[in-house]
Amino acid sequence: MSSTPAWSGAFDRGALQDVARLPLDDVRAWAFAGSTGAGVKVAIVDSGIDGDHPRVGGIAGGVAFQVDPDAELGYVEREGPHEDLVGHGTACAAIIRALAPESEIYSVRVLGANLKGRGALLQAGVEWSVESGMHVANLSLSSKSEAMFGPLHEIADHAYFSGTVLVCAANNLPGPTYPSQYASVVSVAARPGDEEMALAYNPRPPVEFGARGIDVDVAWADRGSITATGNSFAAPHVTAMVALMQSKHPWLAPFQVKAVLQAACINAVQH
Amino acid sequence: MTIAPGVDAALGRCVEATRALFGAAACSIALVDGDGSTLTYVASDGAGADEIVGVSMPVSRGIGGWAAMSGQPIAVRDVQSDPRFARDVAESTHYVPSAIHAAPMLDSDGEVLGVVSVLDPVVEETSDWTLNVLGTIAGLMALVTAAAASAPATVPQPLAQLGSDVLRLVASWEAGDSGRSR
Repeated sequence: MSSTPAWSGAFDRGALQDVARLPLDDVRAWAFAGSTGAGVKVAIVDSGIDGDHPRVGGIAGGVAFQVDPDAELGYVEREGPHEDLVGHGTACAAIIRALAPESEIYSVRVLGANLKGRGALLQAGVEWSVESGMHVANLSLSSKSEAMFGPLHEIADHAYFSGTVLVCAANNLPGPTYPSQYASVVSVAARPGDEEMALAYNPRPPVEFGARGIDVDVAWADRGSITATGNSFAAPHVTAMVALMQSKHPWLAPFQVKAVLQAACINAVQH
Repeated sequence: MTIAPGVDAALGRCVEATRALFGAAACSIALVDGDGSTLTYVASDGAGADEIVGVSMPVSRGIGGWAAMSGQPIAVRDVQSDPRFARDVAESTHYVPSAIHAAPMLDSDGEVLGVVSVLDPVVEETSDWTLNVLGTIAGLMALVTAAAASAPATVPQPLAQLGSDVLRLVASWEAGDSGRSR
């Protein structure tokens, strides 16, 4: 076992090493300045979203996937409004709304009041995001199921080639988790600091980016707020940054989005 | 330390050791029932242990339920301001915490077996370190749980000794470093 903490430890200030970036001048201004996220469709694949929460300010639409043993695929899909069962999705939505206020947020509920079949619902949620033309999808959840490695890898590649950027929270559990492990996604862990737009790059993947996720004041269920820590809250900060740059530069392909994110990191230097 | 009838003693030693490791007020394990909709507390050590063991609640409730649903460890610093915090359950144990750390226990197939919760851990500040350590311990507890479920009373000796080994390490660490600085 490594003597240093996994993932997030790589983003401690003392551990950060310089990484070479593309020769882009003032990349943060180019990518983010003046952008509101307008015109960008953002899917939040999670527990649902309370669109009436004052920190969310409404959502553009949504779909809920629910386990149904009698259904052909083992689940059913219901378009339309639904509640957030725990507050997790609402927390992610509020973070994105604060940073990209005019982005179009869609709730893709795959977490329900039952723990069975999580992997299949996650796959269905990502598929819906791609087929519905989402520009970026936030996945603050993951699967450790080896059986889901292939199906989730396939849909992650499909998203990559379709232009849907998948932003995935890494997991603090030992061993690989999917889809955060794949090269086709933007993988994120929490790093120290309270700057909402700060970003760090880890030259030793699979977890590539560190963003704010420790002691974050987040929206929660029942119109409330809590102070919480987790990679779950780091991912939406990066999702919002992706939405901001896609709004200004809609032609950006997923691999270009990742290059711009890397160039915008605090430890990226020009050689 | 309190465990439910029929639960392997190794799980009891695990919660005891984890509470000591985090210097926490309490540590508990809740397991998912057969249809995946309920968490039932089966082992606990510390404040409210006797009262919490045997209690069941829907997976959509509480901080532990969130960790189980998302598959992600979480730390909440001010649970009493969380409207979904299961205050009624906490009050029934006569101990209401201010901070909860929780991590899912996943088996080798990635299915959620349960959740481990740590109440009011003594740490300098919330950090990824606590979530990484708790996440790792939750994975080991899942191994113990899976082994006990597949062949009761035959948890492999190294796993059965896990809690005792951690307790011994914590004791020796505290004896050698009374400042508890990290």
